[in-house]
Amino acid sequence: MSDTWLLAAGDDPHEGLRAVRAVRELADRLEYLQVERARGLGWSWQEVADALGVTKQAVHKKYGRRI
Amino acid sequence: MFERFTREARDVVVLAQEVAREVGARSVDARHVLLCLVESRGPARNGLESVGIAVAAFAERLRNEVAQGGLDAGALASVGIDLDAVRARADAVFGEGALDQAGGRRRSGHLPFSPDAKKVLELALREAIRLHVNRIDSAMLLLGVLRSTGSPAESVLRSALAECGSSVADLRTALEKPAAEAS
Repeated sequence: MSDTWLLAAGDDPHEGLRAVRAVRELADRLEYLQVERARGLGWSWQEVADALGVTKQAVHKKYGRRI
Repeated sequence: MFERFTREARDVVVLAQEVAREVGARSVDARHVLLCLVESRGPARNGLESVGIAVAAFAERLRNEVAQGGLDAGALASVGIDLDAVRARADAVFGEGALDQAGGRRRSGHLPFSPDAKKVLELALREAIRLHVNRIDSAMLLLGVLRSTGSPAESVLRSALAECGSSVADLRTALEKPAAEAS
């Protein structure tokens, strides 16, 4: 696995950037699902924010209306 | 821009919108356009067939790829992420189809074109100018895909060409020739 990371990090910029974009899209979706679930389990916005390493305002602004 | 498109080329663009909507994508990207070109019946398909691409199999492969709900399985694999494994785990925790649906609600109405799809349309126009043809047909659109170096659509087309022993240059020639004769 570390070998493939090295390849993606140093190889063709087209492929590298495409991989970055794909990882970001996947991370965004997982974040949304996890935040939704955590809220459903009774987590406060502050707890969610702490776990994500961002401010409460940031997480509320991003998900407050969707979740 | 679309007034110079042939009827078939317009249909390809309209169908690309429908495909993107069906798979829950947020925008119409160049892979949706490529899929509709492969499934079209005009000069683009003729060009692909003439260089030895098995169009039905290629269309199916593209369909599978765009059906990933906007997630790029190939690119994720390149960094060691197994999308199928992540999806199976996400389905187990969050419910069936949760990961694919997390990309956004299915939209009705007009879907925007992604930058790479816009680029393909722009490059198709440029190819038509270069080849002195008045109408942008599906062959020009496919030439646009070929010119969009490094886009996901271009890479999948390039690897399909390599797999059947052909090349970008061969396909370009096959697409340019009838266009030049017709003008």
